[in-house]
Amino acid sequence: MGEKPLVGKKRMKRKYRDNEIEPRSTPIDNIPEEEEKEIPMHLLDDWSDDGSDDVDFLEDEESSDEEDWTDESEQSISDDGDDVEETSEDEDGDLEEDDECIVFGGKKAESSNERSIAAAEESDSSEDEVPNRNTIGDVPLEWYEGEEHIGYDKTGKKIKKQAKKDKLDSFLAGADNSGNWRKIYDDYNDEEIELTKEETKLIRKIIKGKTPHSDANPYEEYIDWFNYEDKNHPVSSAPEPKSRFLPSRWEHKKVVKLVRAIRNGWIKADKPKEEPRCFLLWGDDTTENERRGLSYIPAPKAKLPGHELSYKPPVEYIPTQEEINSYQLMHEEDRPKFIPRRLESMRTAPAYDNALKESFERLLDLYLCPRIRKKRIDIDPESLKPKLPHPKDLQPYPTMCFLEYKGHTGPVTSISIHVSGEWIASGSNDGTARIWEVENGRCLKIWQFDEAIQHVAWNPLPELPIIAVSTGQDVFLLDTGCGSEDQSQNIKGLLNVNVSVLTTNSEENSAPLVTWVNHEKYDGIRLKHFKLVTTIDWHYKGDYFCTVVPTILIHQLSKKQTQNSIKKLHGLPVTAVFHPSRPFFFVSTKKNVRVYNLSNQKLIKKLETGFREISSISIHPGGDNVIVGSKEGKLCWFDMDLSCKPYKTMRNNLKDITGVAFHRSYPLFAICSHDSIAYVFHGMVYSDLNQNPLIVPLKILRGHKKTNGGGVLDCKFHPKEPWLFTAGGDSVIKLYCNEAPSMY
Amino acid sequence: MVGMMNGGVDDARLVEVRFVTKLPSSLKVPMTSMKLSTKLVRAELSEIVNYLLLSMDSEFKQIAFDFIVNGEFIRIPLEEFLLRNGISTERVLEIEYVKAVVPREDDPLPHDDWVSAVDGSHPSFIASGCYDGYARLWKEGYQCSHVLEGHSGAISSICIIKENDSRNSNNLHIVTASKDRDLKLWQINADSTIDHLTKVRSLKTFHGHTGSVQCVSGVPSGDMVCSGSWDSSIKLWNVGDETEDDLVIKKRKVHTIGGGLNEESHLEGTSISTLKGHTECVSAVVWTERETIYSASFDHSVKRWDVQTGKHTWNLASGKLLRCIDVGGESSALVAAGGADSIIRVWDPRKPDTLTPTFKFMSHSSWISACKWHKSSWYHLLSSSYDGKVMLWDIRTLCCLAVMDSHSGEKVLCADWWKDDSIISGGADSKLSISSRISIS
Repeated sequence: MGEKPLVGKKRMKRKYRDNEIEPRSTPIDNIPEEEEKEIPMHLLDDWSDDGSDDVDFLEDEESSDEEDWTDESEQSISDDGDDVEETSEDEDGDLEEDDECIVFGGKKAESSNERSIAAAEESDSSEDEVPNRNTIGDVPLEWYEGEEHIGYDKTGKKIKKQAKKDKLDSFLAGADNSGNWRKIYDDYNDEEIELTKEETKLIRKIIKGKTPHSDANPYEEYIDWFNYEDKNHPVSSAPEPKSRFLPSRWEHKKVVKLVRAIRNGWIKADKPKEEPRCFLLWGDDTTENERRGLSYIPAPKAKLPGHELSYKPPVEYIPTQEEINSYQLMHEEDRPKFIPRRLESMRTAPAYDNALKESFERLLDLYLCPRIRKKRIDIDPESLKPKLPHPKDLQPYPTMCFLEYKGHTGPVTSISIHVSGEWIASGSNDGTARIWEVENGRCLKIWQFDEAIQHVAWNPLPELPIIAVSTGQDVFLLDTGCGSEDQSQNIKGLLNVNVSVLTTNSEENSAPLVTWVNHEKYDGIRLKHFKLVTTIDWHYKGDYFCTVVPTILIHQLSKKQTQNSIKKLHGLPVTAVFHPSRPFFFVSTKKNVRVYNLSNQKLIKKLETGFREISSISIHPGGDNVIVGSKEGKLCWFDMDLSCKPYKTMRNNLKDITGVAFHRSYPLFAICSHDSIAYVFHGMVYSDLNQNPLIVPLKILRGHKKTNGGGVLDCKFHPKEPWLFTAGGDSVIKLYCNEAPSMY
Repeated sequence: MVGMMNGGVDDARLVEVRFVTKLPSSLKVPMTSMKLSTKLVRAELSEIVNYLLLSMDSEFKQIAFDFIVNGEFIRIPLEEFLLRNGISTERVLEIEYVKAVVPREDDPLPHDDWVSAVDGSHPSFIASGCYDGYARLWKEGYQCSHVLEGHSGAISSICIIKENDSRNSNNLHIVTASKDRDLKLWQINADSTIDHLTKVRSLKTFHGHTGSVQCVSGVPSGDMVCSGSWDSSIKLWNVGDETEDDLVIKKRKVHTIGGGLNEESHLEGTSISTLKGHTECVSAVVWTERETIYSASFDHSVKRWDVQTGKHTWNLASGKLLRCIDVGGESSALVAAGGADSIIRVWDPRKPDTLTPTFKFMSHSSWISACKWHKSSWYHLLSSSYDGKVMLWDIRTLCCLAVMDSHSGEKVLCADWWKDDSIISGGADSKLSISSRISIS
C-alpha cells in the first residue's frame, strides 16, 4: 500500500534530475486521500526530504507541527546533505524499516517508538523531564546483559538489576491490574513506567496522525485580523509561505554542481601566477616604464663599462703615447675621461679617481637635466606630396635654350610674338624697339625712342602687322613692314590721323586724355598721354586696345577714338587685359582683379588675390582661368567658374614675379621672376566642369644672367610651338624649345 | 710598326689582319696577312699602312687613312670594336682602308650680311644668297663675278637651274627666293670672261606667295621650280620657256635696296599650280624626280607630293618642327631632315614603319639649319647647325667623319656640296666658307 506512491515519487525525482524539469505538485496530487490519512508518517518523511517545493501543501497547522517534530528527529541525516541522491535512498531504507515496525509492531518497534515518544516529551515539555537514573550514556545495553547491574548512577554506584519477573508473574499482574497494559518497561533504567491516560491519548493521536497535543484545535475559527474593508486594493493577508524561509532547491542544485566541479578539480579557486621562465638579462627595461603612465620619461642610462675599463684590457685598447699626447690637444669635452692602463692583477688596480665626481655629475644630470618628450610624427614626407604625373609624361614643354636674340643694349622689358610665329617684337630700356626673325635670331628692324620702352604688343590680326609701343608718356602704333604690299597700303591708311587732334573726353572742361598725332619719323601714330603708360593690350579683334596710364583707356584704332569708361576703381590699376574670346575686360588693381563686361559696361566679378601687389596677369585661352603673379613672388590660379577666391596659390620665387603667360594651344603656362628664373608649368584645364585644373611644375629655366636691370622681365610663349621666349635684364632674349620625345 | 712592337712586347690578344682597299694601285699594300695587337686604334692602323706603303715606295708621302670593317668605320680601339660587333679574332680580319677626310679650309668669301642661302650644284660657280637682298655668284670659288640685285628683302633660298639641251648652254639660270614674298629668275652669261663685277637684273619675277618664301628647288629637267612659303603652300613656277602665255609684261615701280624708285620693264610670272596640305610654313622643298617633290614644314610633317595630281602621297609626322630636308643616300631614297633640335633624322620611306628614324645623328648642340646628301655617294651626308659647325656624316658610322668649325661659333645658315669634294657653308658671320679636298670614295 505505502510503497506505491513512494516508488512513483522516486521515479519522478530521478526524472526531474535527468531532465531538469521543475517538479509540480503532480506526485502528491496522485496520492489518494484515504491513503494520506492512513500513512501520514510516509508523507511526513517524504516532505521533510523533498524540501521546499512540497511545502505548499502543508497548510494546516497539524502537519506543520508534525514536520517540526520529524525535522528534529532526522536532523542528523538532512544536515549531512552532501549527496542528495544518497541521503534520499538511505532515508527510503529507513522508512521501509519503519513501515515494518508499525505494521508488525515487534519489540524493536516498540522501543523505537518509546524512544521517539520520550524524545517528543522532552522536546515538548522540558520542565517535567525526569533525569535518567542510569548514567552509562548511549552505549548498547547488550554490554550489560550478563552483568548484575545495568549501569551507574550519578554518584557512580552500580545500579543493580531488578529481579526479573517471569512470564507468569507478569501475566498475573496484567490480569490483576487493569492498568497493566499501560506499563512500559524501560530497558535503560531497568524500571517499569506506567503511562498516564494523557500519555496514551497522545500516543494514539500520534498514530492516527492527528495533533498530539490534546488541547490543540485543528479547526479553530478563522479570525480575519487584517482589516481590508476600507482598503482600495486587496492585500493578501495570507501568511508568508514557507518557501520564503527555506533555501531554494535550485540554488542548492547549482551549489552542488559547483561543489562537484570544485571537488573534481574543474574549477580552481585561484590560479598560481606563472613566473616567466626566462628574461632578458641585458635587455632594456623599458617595459617597466610603461606602467608609469604616459608622461614618464626614463632617465638616460649610464654607459655600461666596456673592455677599456677592465684592469687588464686587451692591447688594442691601450692608447699609444702619441695618442695620449694628442689628447692634450683636444678640446676638454672631447678628451677621453679615462685612459686605459694595463695592470698585472686586479689587486694592483688603484681606486678610480673620478668615481665620486662622476657619480655626482650623473646625479646632477638625472636631477637637473630637463627631459622632454619630443613628438615625432612618423609620416613619410613623400606621401604628403600630391600625386602628380611625371613631367616626362607631359611633354612637350620648353627645356633647352636654343636661340638667343642679341642686340639690345639695355634690359629687355617686354616682348611680343607675332601671331604667325614668324617675328618677335621686343622693347628695351635702351629706348629701342626691335623686330626679330624667330627662326634664326636676325634683327629685322630697330626703332629708336627717347625713353625706355615699357611695353610692346603686336596686333593680333595676322594681316595687320602693327606693333604698339609704349615709351614714356606716348604710345606709338608702328608699321613693321612685315606685311605684303597690299597689307602695307591698308596699314598706311589705318595709321593716318586725318584730323590732327582727336580727343574723346566726357568732361569737356578738363584737358584731353589722349591726343592722336601722326608721327612722321616712323610713319605711324603717336598717342600722347598725360602720364607714363605702363601696359598695352590688344583686343582679340585687333581694333581696340587698352593702355594703363594708370587710368584705363580704351582706344579704337579704326576711329581713332579713346574712351575712359572704367572709373570707379578702388586702388591703382596695374594692368589690364582683354578676354581672348568674349567681350570681357580684366583690370587688376594692386590687390584684386576686376572683370568687366564691355558690352554693358558692368562689373561681373571681383577676384580676390590676397596679394599686396599684383604685377602681371594672364588669361587662359579658354577664358575661364586666370593666373595672377604678384610682386611678393606668389602666383595664384583663378578658376572663375569655381569662385572668386584663388583655386591655387603657389609660392615659387624668392623675388617678385615679372610676367606670367599662358600658351595658346598647349596646356602650359610660365612665370618669370627677378631671380632670372623662368618656371614652366603644366596647366591643364579640362572641359569637364567637374574636374579641377591640373597644375604640375615642369621645368625651371635658368640661363639669364642676373644684372641690375633685373632677372627675367618678360616671358611669352610661341603661338604654335611649345617654346618659351624670355626677355632678360641682361639685354638678351632667349628661346627655350622642347626636346623631341625619344621615339622620334 | 707600333702594332708590331706592341704585339711583340705585350701579351695582348693578337688578330690576323689583311688590309684591302679600292684605292688606286699606288696605294695598295701587299695582300699578305699580319698579326696585330687588338689594342690598336685608328691612328696606329693608319701608321702601319703608311709604313707598309713607304716600304714599297720610298718617296711616298704620308696620308691619313680611315678603316672600314664590315661596312663600319673603326672609331674605337680594335678590341672594343671586335667585341661590340661580335667578330671573332681567330679568323683573318679584312680591313678596308680609305683615305681619311681631312678638309682643308680655303679662304672664306666675304659678304655684307648674313649668308642665308648657298648652292653648289654648278661646278664652276657658287651661288650665294645674302640678307642684304643680293645674290652673288662666285666664279671658281674665289671671285665674285655677278651680283644679282632686285630683291627688297633678304634672300632665303637660291637654286641654280640645271640646264637642259634646249637652252643655250652658255647661259646660267638662277632662281632666288626672298622674304619679300617673291621669287626671281636670273639669267647669267656663264661664258663671260670679264673679270670685274657684273650687276644682273632679274629676268622674271614670280609673284603669288602671301608670305615670305622660305625655300626653292628646281626640277631635274630644269624647266620648273617649286617654292615653299610662310603661307604654308608650295607653288610651282615655270622657268623654262619664255614664250609662255602666262607671262605678263609689266611696268612697275621697284624698290631697290640702294634706295630710290626705278621704273623698269619687267616680266612677271604666276604659279602653275599650288600644292596645299601643310598647315604651317613650308620650310624646305626638294624636287627629286619629275613627279616627286618632298617638303618639310613647321607643322612637323614631311610630305611627298605627286606633281601631276597635286596630292601628297606620303606623309610622315615627325615630332619636331622641321627646317631642312634632303633626299638621297642609298638609291636616292632616304629622307634626311633636321629641325628645331640638335638631331638629324634619316627616314626610309620604303619601310612600312617609318615613324621612327632609321638613323639619328646627334652630335650637334643646336638647331640644324641644313642637311645635304652627297650627290654621288650613298653614305655621305653633311649638316650645318646654329652651333657654328658643319659636320660630315657617314651613315655607316654614327660618329661624324669631320667637323668644320669655320664660322667662329656663329650660326651656320646654309651648307652645300660643291664639286663633289668640297663643302660650302654660309653663316651669320657673313662669310661663305669653303672646305675642300674631302675625298669621298
